[in-house]
Formats: sequence, structure tokens, C-alpha cells
Amino acid sequence: MGFQVFLDIAVVALRFLLPVYAVVIIYQCFASMRRHRRPEKPLVTLELKDTGQQVPVLFWENSIGRSKGSDICVNDPTVSREHCVLLRRQEGWLVSDIGSKGGTYVNGKKARSRTQVLIDDEISVGSTTFVLKRGDEFQDRIRPSWFFSKASNKGSLQPYKLMLLITFFHLFMTVEACFTNEVQDFTPFTIFLIMEALLWGFFFVSTVVFKRINFELEALASFMTGIGVILLVRQEIRSAYVQLIAATVGIVLFCFLVKFIENPDRVDSWRMAIMIGAVGLLAVNLVFGSVQHGAQNWIQIGPISIQPSEFVKVAYIFVGAAALDKLQTKRNFFEFIVFSAICVGALALMGDFGTALIFFATFLLIAFMRSGDFKTVLLALVSVVFAGMIVLKFKPYVANRFAAWGHVWEHAQDTAYQQARVLTYTASGGLSGVGVGNGYLKYIFASESDLVFGILAEEMGVIVAFALTFAIIMLAFYARAITTRSRSTFYSISACCAAGLMVIQASLNIFGATDILPLTGVTFPFVSAGGSSMIACWGLLAFIKAADERTYAAKRLSKHKEER
Amino acid sequence: MKRIMSRSFIVLIVTLAMVAGVCLLAFRLLTQNEQWVAQPYNGHVASSNGLAQAGDVTDRDDVTLAYTDENEERIYHEDYSTRCALMHVVGDNSLNISTAVQSMYRGDLTGYSFVFGLGLPKSLRTNNSIELTVDADACKAAYEALGYKKGACVVYNYKTGEVLVDVSTPTYDPQNPPEITEENEKDYDGVYLDNVVSSSYTPGSIFKVVTAAAAIENIPDIYNRTFECSGEYDIDGMKITCENAHGSIDFTNAIAQSCNVACAQMAIEVGGDNMTKTAENMGFNKTFEVSGITLSKSVYTLENALGDNQLGWSGIGQFEDLANPMHMAIMCGAIANGGTPVTPYLLQSDSSLLQKIGITEAKKSEQMLSTDTAIKLQDIMRATADYYYNARGLTMGGLNFCAKTGTAEVGEDKEPTAWIIGYTEDENHPYAFAVAVEEGGYGISAAAPIAQAAISSLVNNP
Repeated sequence: MGFQVFLDIAVVALRFLLPVYAVVIIYQCFASMRRHRRPEKPLVTLELKDTGQQVPVLFWENSIGRSKGSDICVNDPTVSREHCVLLRRQEGWLVSDIGSKGGTYVNGKKARSRTQVLIDDEISVGSTTFVLKRGDEFQDRIRPSWFFSKASNKGSLQPYKLMLLITFFHLFMTVEACFTNEVQDFTPFTIFLIMEALLWGFFFVSTVVFKRINFELEALASFMTGIGVILLVRQEIRSAYVQLIAATVGIVLFCFLVKFIENPDRVDSWRMAIMIGAVGLLAVNLVFGSVQHGAQNWIQIGPISIQPSEFVKVAYIFVGAAALDKLQTKRNFFEFIVFSAICVGALALMGDFGTALIFFATFLLIAFMRSGDFKTVLLALVSVVFAGMIVLKFKPYVANRFAAWGHVWEHAQDTAYQQARVLTYTASGGLSGVGVGNGYLKYIFASESDLVFGILAEEMGVIVAFALTFAIIMLAFYARAITTRSRSTFYSISACCAAGLMVIQASLNIFGATDILPLTGVTFPFVSAGGSSMIACWGLLAFIKAADERTYAAKRLSKHKEER
Repeated sequence: MKRIMSRSFIVLIVTLAMVAGVCLLAFRLLTQNEQWVAQPYNGHVASSNGLAQAGDVTDRDDVTLAYTDENEERIYHEDYSTRCALMHVVGDNSLNISTAVQSMYRGDLTGYSFVFGLGLPKSLRTNNSIELTVDADACKAAYEALGYKKGACVVYNYKTGEVLVDVSTPTYDPQNPPEITEENEKDYDGVYLDNVVSSSYTPGSIFKVVTAAAAIENIPDIYNRTFECSGEYDIDGMKITCENAHGSIDFTNAIAQSCNVACAQMAIEVGGDNMTKTAENMGFNKTFEVSGITLSKSVYTLENALGDNQLGWSGIGQFEDLANPMHMAIMCGAIANGGTPVTPYLLQSDSSLLQKIGITEAKKSEQMLSTDTAIKLQDIMRATADYYYNARGLTMGGLNFCAKTGTAEVGEDKEPTAWIIGYTEDENHPYAFAVAVEEGGYGISAAAPIAQAAISSLVNNP
């Protein structure tokens, strides 16, 4: 008896350590992201030829024009409100006219498309002429975003140490999963070993093959993916393997995408193809899709069933974002709106209203970030509220979910069956959970995907569940903080909107399951079971990764060396 | 780029909305976690071994009704009848009786805490005990008086609100729960319901108390009226009948002798709207809560009534009228208290310490009747008790009491539902009671003895 008590205390102590450990890991990931990198000084400066006044060029892409919002504001009536864009690319600095009245001239020659500008070259807009100078000739201090810690702060954890921390966390979870109340065996270890091989392999490829110095974003995603996989072991071992395969595909997609969007101009030439591909995928889904649980959002290919709408999410961000000089063209924006309408419409036809809602919310984000027009966004919002009411009228099963919303306990045995159980088991877990594999929520339909927040809270405790929620929230803060440090507006917009999409999706998942919003049946990024969703999340992460200036930094350095 | 940066605040807004949602969730979790956990389907407490760590359940005199022994077995009271009598209040190992304390308060019993949840190993858990307000002996007496009949018996202290007797049949022995099969399911029909709180029956003549209240409030000269009863009364070509012709009868005697003809006439004269109003004031069509248990509603509705005939029937507790036993006891408590009832409760912990030592008053419900009407109803129910019990030599533990019986017709092939509702008039024993017996026959012969057994036990074994 005495030994038993001792053992029990040890188990409980371990259970309480895990949440603290999880918080530490998430903190370390973000501490690493917050690290200061290049000093906040201008990349180049523009010198006014007449007065010698210096204007700092802070960003990789800068708009020049008369309007106050321009990055380089020129107080000259002969300059158009949006005149031209000065941007930096692999080959150097370029200037691109964006439909100005007077035209843009480099060394007196009219710049028709993107034109290279070298140091000491002259750029003329209207009656103003700038001379391009090196950046270190400008001395003013620039205030960095609050997100970044001060340059003097000591360095954060090295990536391999972070990965070790995460591996040990997964190991503790695995040990817990081996000794559940019901079953005791070592099958979780098989999963654990395969998974760590995958994650460390990814780490190796990233640091050694691609020579990237930072890994915290990937580490965070790996951490969450691993938690999801180990939680699945005691629910359905097959799903755990499927999840692992999906994670592998997702990581490959991540690596591919980061590479693919390295050159934002290449993305532009693929834009149409991606759009057509995505529409085609939705069309195939509409024609051949099978209906599962009220929504026709699955395609069955042999033994594999996929959810095309998840992949379209990645394509959607692609199409929505663009480089600054392309952003201004009407054609680009028009294409995006048509594409959005097709996506949301197709999803509504399939009856997948949760995903349609995510797309629409993301549409609002992208539309606003591109146009900055509040009225348009409000108008779109109102029109969708009306559309939503029509949906409620004609789709009784959606209306049913609304009826149960806020009345969980009255409908605990019918329409709010799942939500009631999520709440009950969330509270049953306490702060530290009942241990991996000891939960009861896993027996409820869709618990491993739509209700995964409840499983997290029940088996790992409320603290871990909330910590992972905050990880998603911090991802959005991070994406926003790196906006101005990105190499193109393509990256800024895509990163903010990818993070925004994950925030919206996580919100619908968590709040839907816990009766703060109606249940829509979407997944929790990285943690929920679901192959397509897992792959798409890694795909979305690539946009945030690409927006970080450091991602392609190592590469650039080595290229410089070659040139010398 | 600057513009994109400033516009990206929209992502921040979305994110802050999520933060707000998370805060709301955390707030709800902090404030409602006990309610969330205490659900009958919760696997952590509902599994076969869900009571292995549970604390004791005791009655008002600290008699242990259920406890868990060192082998993690749940042991119930040693007496078979007591076990059966209290099964619906205490509950069994399963969560089948959803209103029983072992179901509703299982989280409390098993030592749930917000910090540790329900995941604490058994050796480290602390559990809580629950003390009930019921009296085990009186419950046993009521159960034995009910015998094999299906029904419900409730007695509560109308001054303090303590529920003293809550017995429902059919029942079973929680120590050896029966396996319910196709052959015996008829015997156990409705066994998982505590009829006191979860059933509503046709009230029959006990509803005349409501009709009387409506007549007092709506017919100014009601005490000067006489009704003519020839044994039957034609309205809209259909008859309302009495057992025998009461002849010329005044208001008080019409209720005391339960004259259908007179009461139907009163209901018709009062009118449907006013009848409904009085009934609803007295708690019909309303939900009551007793220690977290939501009572089955008592119903008075004329929505489907075709004319005066059915209005007349509704006035004598037939038609579509339904009455819940606990609500009937509350209604009697209201009459006894001069119009406003004290809310009953089942757990000692529901009353505060101040209340126990008499500094603050018991929790009251909404007023049901004006004091004037309540006092007039007291007189009528006293007259009714005199009329019946003095003639038949029945007593309620030697106390003065007021009552009304009912014999509710429920269909041609079934015996009527027998009822008695009322209260004792005694400073030390202020008990409101209600008894319903399915297919019992006459209220006076089938229901009254059960109330008598329960109250005698309460008076004689304090």
C-alpha cells in the first residue's frame, strides 16, 4: 500500500510537470522567433538630387507616390498618388511603374517594366529626382515591433536543444500511453520511434541540407503534430499511422513550398495555373465527391479518402497574395474575387459550411489587407450574413446545430450530444488531465478531429489545451510582427492570412466544441486527426516561414561568396 | 509595405477575438465545472466502479444509507425495505436514476476538484459525504404502506423546506439490482423514474382545491351560493356525474364532499381564462427545482377544450389536467404558509448554517395565493379532513390536519389514480404531503393510509 501511494504521487507529479513542460516548450519556440536579427537600419537610402535630403528605404518593397500611406511619400503635385514601386530582388534593386501619369525614369530613360537601379543611379518621378545611395549612410534609429526582444537579450535555445526538449515531451506522453488504465503494452513506442525519426530527419534536412539556421516554427508544428499522433495511439492505432504518413507528406510539401516561393515573381507566373488547378479540384469534388456526415467534401481514391477543400486553402493563400507592384493591378484583384466566389460557392454546395466560413473569413482578411477598404469588407460581411440566413432556412441540419447552441444541457442526448460531452470531459480532466489514453471522450464520434480540444483537455489537462491554443494565437502575432521584415508583400500578406486562417479555424474548432459558437466540424491545426488537414496546415506554415527574412538568408550569403 | 503593415491589424483583431473567446471559455470552466462534470454519462464516474471512491450518504439522523467499504464495494442500508424505499433518492451504482443524489452529485461524492479533475489515483483522492434531509424510517413506513402498488409519496416540512419522505414505486434493491428482461419489464415499468419528482398524474378531485381558489377569487358571493346536485349535470349535451346526488349544497361542503356537479359549474362560471390564471399562479405549467432536480410539470391547459363541458371536466381535475406529487406538496405548503411556499430541498448542505440556527428564513418560492384565499382554503381543507377522517377514524399521528383526496379516472380499463394532498397543523410537525397511487382506487382508501403511515412514523420516531 505504501509503495502504491508513492507510485501514485510520482504519476501525479509527472502529470503536473507535463503541462509546465509544454508551456516551457511553447515559450522557447516563441522566444526564438522574437530574437532580434538584422539591426534596424535602412537597406538603402534615396537622396533628393536638388536638396540632398536623405530618405531611408526600409523595406524590400516600397511604394513611391504622393499619397500619405506610401512608404516613400513625395510631396510633388506632378507625382501620381501611387506612382511606382522600388523593390529588391535577387538581382538587385528594381523600379517598377504602377500606372503613373507622368511615368518613371531611370537615368533619364523611361522605365516600362521592372528596371534595374544601381547605386548612384537616378530615379525620376514627376519633377522629383532621387539618387540611390547605400543604406549605412543614413543614421536615424527605427523602432522595431514590440514583438521582437531587444538586441542585447541573450540568445535563445539552440534549435537542436529545442528539438531534444520536444522529443522528451513526446517520450513522456508515450510512456503514459503505454500504461493506461485499460491496456498496458508498448505499441505506442513504435509510433514514437517512427515519428521521432521523421521529425529529426526533417531537422537534419533543414539545417544540414538547406543550411537554415532557425527551426523554431517547424519545431512548434512538430511539437503539436506529435501530441496529436500520440493521442491517437490509444484511440485508433490505424489513424495514428495515417496521421504520420500525412505529416510526412505535409513536411515534404512544406519544404517544397518554401523553396517554390523563394522567388515571389515565379509565384506570379504560376498563379493562373494554381487557380485553375484548385477550381478543377473543387469541380472533381462536386462531381465525384462522396457524402460523409452531411457534407460532400470527400473524394475516394481506392483506399485513400481525401478532402480537396483542405488543399484549396493553400492555393487560396497563393492566389490572394501578390508582390507590391502586382497588388495594385485591377486584374489581379478581380481574379482573386472571382476565385473566392467560386471556392465559397463550391463549398456551400458541398454542404461544408465550416470550411466555407473559414474561406470567407480569410477572404475578408486578404481583401482588407490588399485594398484597405473597410466599406467593401463590411458590405461583403453583410451579404454573407444574409446568405447564411438563407442557408439556415434550407439546410435543416445546419439550423439544428444553431438551435442547440447555448442550450447544451437541454439537448445533451440529441443535437448537443458532442458538445455536452466535450464540456463534461474537459472539466473532468482538471488542470493536468487524466493521462494519455485514460479518457472517455475518445469513444464519442469525431472526437479525434472536431472535438480534439476536449481530448487534449481531458487527457493532458486544461493547461496543455490552452497552451496549444495560445501557440496558434502567438503564431498570428508572429506573422504580423514580421510583416515589414518580409522580402515581398506576397510574403507579408500570405503569412498574415495563413496565420489568420489558422486562428479562425482553431477558433471554430475550440469554440464550436465548447458551445461558445455553433459546432461546425473543422479541425484544430496540426493536432486534429485528418490527413488532408495535416498536409494543408504544413502547407500554410510554409507561408509564415517564407515571410521570415532569415529563411533565405543563409542561402543568399553563400551565393554572395560564390559571386566573389 | 507600410500600408500592408497597418492593414494587418485586421489579423490582430481576429486574433484578439479568439483571445476573448478563450477567456470566456476559461471563465465558464472556472464557474461551471462542477455542473459539467456531474452528468450521468460521464465515464469517469459512471463506470461500474464509479463509486469505488465515493463518500457516504446519510439521512437526517445520520443513519448511513450508502457507503463504500474497504473492498471498494458500495454497501447500502442493511434493511431491505429501507434500501428499496430510498432507492430513488439515494440511487444505485448505475446512473439510471438520473435524479438520485448518487447520480446528480457523483462528482461531489467521488471527490472531484477543479485542479485534479477526476484523474487522481484512488489512493490520493479525498471524497465528500452527503447528508440528506429524508427520514429513513418514515420512508420505509411509506414504502411498506404502498406495498406492490405503483405510486409516489412525499412529505416535506413546509416551514423549513426539508424533504422528509420521498418514496417512489416500483423500486428495486440497489444492493442487488434486477436484470430487466423482456419477461419482467412490465413489473419494472417506470422503475428508473422517481415518481415524486419526475412523473405527473391526472389529479382528479384534488384539483378542486384549485377550482375553489379560482371561485373564491372570481365569484364574489360564492359563500352565499348553493348548488343543486341531482347526481348528474348536462352541459353541451354531455354529462358530468357525481357518485351520488348531493342535493342542495353550499360552497364549502361542495368541496368537502367533492361534488363534481358543483365544482364543474364553478369552473364554467369562473371561465377558462381565469381558471388558467389561478392554476398557473398555483404552479401549474411551471417548472420547479428541488436541490437541482427539475420537477416534471403539472399541467392545466384548455387549448384542446371544445366547450364548457370540457372546461367543467378540467375543473374537477380530469380532461387534460396533470399534477406532479412534489408540486402538490409545495402547493399545500403554500396554503399552510398563508400563500407563499418554502422551497423544498433534499440535501442538508442546501440550507445555510444561519438558516439552521434560525437566524435567516428558509428560501421561499414565488407567492401562489393571496393570504385571504389561503386562509379560506385552509378552512375548506380542514372541513374536508373533518368530513372524511372523523367519520372514518383515520388520524395523522394524532395531529390536526387539512387535506383533500382525489380519485382520478384514467381510462375505462384502468382503476383510478388515488390521491391525497394536505398538511398537518402543528408547530413541531409542520408537514405538507402528497400521495399518488396508480390504479389505486379511491383516494381515501388507497392513498390516505400511506400518508398516515409516513406521518405517524415521523411523529412517533422523532
